[in-house]
Amino acid sequence: MTVWIAIGLSGLATYATRVLPLVITLRGSAPSLVRRYLDALPTAVIAALAGAGIAVPDGSPTGGAEVVAAAVATALAVWRKNLLLAVLGAVLTVAGLRAAGL
Amino acid sequence: MLLTSLVVGATYGVIARQSGLSVLEASGSSVIIFAGAAQFAAVGLLQSGATPVEIALSVLLINLRHLLMAASLRPHFRDARGLRRLGLAYILTDESFAMGIGWFRRGHRDLTYYATFAALLWACWNVGTIVGAVFGAGIEQPQRYGVDFAITACFVAIVAIGVRHRADVVVALTAAAVAAALRLAGASTVAVVIAGAVAPVVILFGRDREIAREVEP
Repeated sequence: MTVWIAIGLSGLATYATRVLPLVITLRGSAPSLVRRYLDALPTAVIAALAGAGIAVPDGSPTGGAEVVAAAVATALAVWRKNLLLAVLGAVLTVAGLRAAGL
Repeated sequence: MLLTSLVVGATYGVIARQSGLSVLEASGSSVIIFAGAAQFAAVGLLQSGATPVEIALSVLLINLRHLLMAASLRPHFRDARGLRRLGLAYILTDESFAMGIGWFRRGHRDLTYYATFAALLWACWNVGTIVGAVFGAGIEQPQRYGVDFAITACFVAIVAIGVRHRADVVVALTAAAVAAALRLAGASTVAVVIAGAVAPVVILFGRDREIAREVEP
């Protein structure tokens, strides 16, 4: 049930951001500072989740495998612009390094 | 772009299943939320035990940018009334905005192009999610195969693929470093998300004028 409540609330929040400017009249345009902040926000929030997941992957601090795997994911993502490839590369790297005892 | 939506949708389906969601929940989230990066974040937060309100707030932060996109599209949507307008808002994404605003700026007035493209993106995302969720059933001993790291790897890749200019790199590194430090100090994942929302401040007063050009009306 928690999952459905989370999905429902998230859906409402998302739809609100899409529909509000279309149904209510906003006077003037957003100041440049606000635009820049909103523009950088998704990158920052997702990067924060990434940083947290790398530092403490599973309740305890990383042994280093996750840091290397994140570097592999970044390299693959920049190189091929392919999410699936980057994730596969990172997962295989983590599995390999953990098997090696890192 | 449609193929990307299909593939990333399938990736989301697999990740959602690995994080403990059922096929119905994974698919339902793609229909109800319909926002790529935010859905990955929601699944990650669910897995770490965040409450629904905390998750919705994080999703809201990630999607606030839609406000600017919808505001830019508003004059072009004036012919669409009632339910039609509500429907056009539902299928607004980064991709459909980019294609739509380009079309309108070239002087076109009809909404068919935006509506068709956005609806196709929606269909690809949802078909992808179902396919990924059905074939991405749970794997035993996820730690051993590194599968538990898949969602973090997704976050890393989403950020890396989305980088447009130097300011993005600065924001991403700042947010990741602050979040890592907070998490190591024992902060909850939600505190980390809030810290991420503060990180963009570092570029606000810089001289990098490229920022936000994309969403200028």
